[in-house]
Amino acid sequence: MLVKVPSALNLGLETLAMEVEVNVASRGLPAFEIVGLPTKTVAESKERVKTAIVNSNIEFPSRRIVVNLAPADVPKQGSFYDLPIAVGILTAVTGCPLPKKSLFFGELSLDGTLRHTRGALLLALFAKERGIKNIFIPKLSANEAAIIKGVNIYPIDSLNQLLLFLCGQIDIKPATHCLGQQPCISAEFDMSEILGQERAKRAIEIAAAGGHNLFMVGSPGSGKTMLARAFSGILPLLNDKETLEVTKIYSASGLIPPLGSVIRTRPFRSPHHTISDAGLIGGGSHIRPGEISLAHRGVLFLDEFNEFSRMALETLRQPLEDGRITICRSREKSTFPCQFILLASANPCPCGYLYHPKKVCICRPREIERYRKKISGPILDRIDLCLEVPVVNVKELSGDETVRKTLEPSELIAQRVIRAREVQAKRFIKEGIYTNAEMRNRQIKKYCRLCDVVTEILIKAGMNFNLSARSFFKMIRVARTIADLEDSQEIEVSHMAEALQYRLRENKNG
Amino acid sequence: MKIVTINSSKYPCLLKGIHQPPESLYYKGRWREGIFKCCLAVVGARAMTSYGRRVTDELVSKVAEAGVTIVSGFMYGVDAQAHRAALSVDGKTIAVMPCGIDLIHPEYQDELYRQILTKNGLIISEIEGSSPPGLWTYPRRNRIVAGLSQATLVVEAGLKSGSLITADLTKRFGRKLFVVPGPLTSSVSQGTLQLIKEGASMVTSADDILEVYGLKSTGAYGAGPRQKNLNFLERKIIEKLAQEPREIDVLSRLVHTASANLGATLSLMQLRGLVNEEEGKYYVS
Repeated sequence: MLVKVPSALNLGLETLAMEVEVNVASRGLPAFEIVGLPTKTVAESKERVKTAIVNSNIEFPSRRIVVNLAPADVPKQGSFYDLPIAVGILTAVTGCPLPKKSLFFGELSLDGTLRHTRGALLLALFAKERGIKNIFIPKLSANEAAIIKGVNIYPIDSLNQLLLFLCGQIDIKPATHCLGQQPCISAEFDMSEILGQERAKRAIEIAAAGGHNLFMVGSPGSGKTMLARAFSGILPLLNDKETLEVTKIYSASGLIPPLGSVIRTRPFRSPHHTISDAGLIGGGSHIRPGEISLAHRGVLFLDEFNEFSRMALETLRQPLEDGRITICRSREKSTFPCQFILLASANPCPCGYLYHPKKVCICRPREIERYRKKISGPILDRIDLCLEVPVVNVKELSGDETVRKTLEPSELIAQRVIRAREVQAKRFIKEGIYTNAEMRNRQIKKYCRLCDVVTEILIKAGMNFNLSARSFFKMIRVARTIADLEDSQEIEVSHMAEALQYRLRENKNG
Repeated sequence: MKIVTINSSKYPCLLKGIHQPPESLYYKGRWREGIFKCCLAVVGARAMTSYGRRVTDELVSKVAEAGVTIVSGFMYGVDAQAHRAALSVDGKTIAVMPCGIDLIHPEYQDELYRQILTKNGLIISEIEGSSPPGLWTYPRRNRIVAGLSQATLVVEAGLKSGSLITADLTKRFGRKLFVVPGPLTSSVSQGTLQLIKEGASMVTSADDILEVYGLKSTGAYGAGPRQKNLNFLERKIIEKLAQEPREIDVLSRLVHTASANLGATLSLMQLRGLVNEEEGKYYVS
């Protein structure tokens, strides 16, 4: 008997319809074959399905069983074919008809229960698009899919339960979405825990408000990492559209925990500097999103920026410009969004103690030059804010009453950031962007009119500080954000003057 | 090959007077005897601080402007800064190399090397060809630097600095030794402070040096054109920065102004040429 079980296949962020055809033959020696370009995980599903059926106290048919994964020419990968294969075999044995317009998707455990499977949200989106009514997926993955309205998401516990439901003996209620635990950790530090560094905190506030990339340079122990870790605490929550974009990526990567819900907080990713190119921008034989995509709509923190491999750094160029990355391999091609805030930090020199108030730098000018040259001009061009983080005398500051009084909690800063973001969202409502950092030159000309005095200052600064043409636009973008933080329509002199503080300084020694 | 031997009439007489003068000098550039008339050796630490940089710029440019030739060793740090400062006022400068005349050492300062040559400076060495520098060539080079000059100025030096060798040779040759005082807290001032203790002349302005040559410069140290039209905050900033270079965060506490506003004010002041910044610290320019 031949049964066709509809299922789907995730390729990157895209989902393709596919069918699992199961034939339980009435003749031939007992066997169990899977065809249709299965990879190792799929081929192994034979054993899982067989054992799970047996352990569910159902007799496994000792017939010749052939499973075809159609279309047969796309390589199949992943463990989610377990459920459709098992359902196919059980249907063939019991003869209960499958419900119309349904999808089956999920990994089996040997005891017949279903395990958490990645990509559930993508499947639900696909179902909605194609007008499919019912999805049967593991209970542990149902919550993330249930965010999509208009599709019945049936949370399945075990094979037995599903079998009883298909035979009409019990009823399973479709899952309703609940906003459960958040997979992303919130900020480790509060801004008020960081003493001093008022200038750095201000720069971070501007970066958060306008979505600008930020490069921090400072000696070890100056507090760069702490500042970065406090960064996610001042970012606003994701809006509904962004939530879906981010959750899709996390779902495809299998990073949504069991029973997890959609992601509302902005992701904060901090990969180690030994990361490979593919790990950073995405790739692999079966293309997976990289760290830059996992940081979509959030923060990508690259600590020890200079220590990353040159290749890895250079691959960042195009994603930083475009906000998305297309990865091409001979067999597959995937596009992932990657609109993130790049937060980079580095030491001023290889030994780390250049400009340190107490310690002596032992680097030679040549070494420092080589160290700095590792970050190419095109990368620096794409970073709006540059900042030196000085070493702070914590002992002295912690005793200072006035310093303590001016410490602001992250919450307060976040409110200002949210307000500035609202101003920007309103301004760019027709442009399809959210923040000032995303403005292209054309949009800068349209939305950032400079009065004569401000233009004059910018031109003067351009001559005195040797600003490049691209730097001009950077300064205008940053000034626009500073103005937005003050809810000012015009870019005033003070805004532009402050923006100039965060320009990239040339190295004068050497 | 350009060479001047000790028997030549072109050989600088001051150098002839030292113990073991070099037999022959190889050189690049145009040999004009005028360049050897008034010479000041400027030496100092490779690990120059921003203080050292500012002092070198200030003193050397004034001395060179008055017509004194600046002699130094082309090493990075104070040496290179001294050459640059001399060139910035179109002054005369001589670089004495520790290696063969055909070698640029350190090689990445080739830009400065070319500038010295195009701006009528002189590059000399007692070693021919392109033999690399060795540990022993540096002290040999230092004796030429000191030997060519009527006086030596030490800007910054640690306790084990090679500049102390030059200082020692200067004293032995009976020439005048000038030292720039530095802060007690700085490791690259320990050597210079030691020299002052031992009786070297402390320099507080370019005039102190120029006196030796019978010359005079214009204005005292740090007395730039007086700025008017300063508002209350700007005046306060100038007052605080004149004491020592400061970071924005530190300054903001001293003048009771938020970092953001202060940053904007400082940017504008920098554009007006009132202040300058280096290593994240602002100072009065």
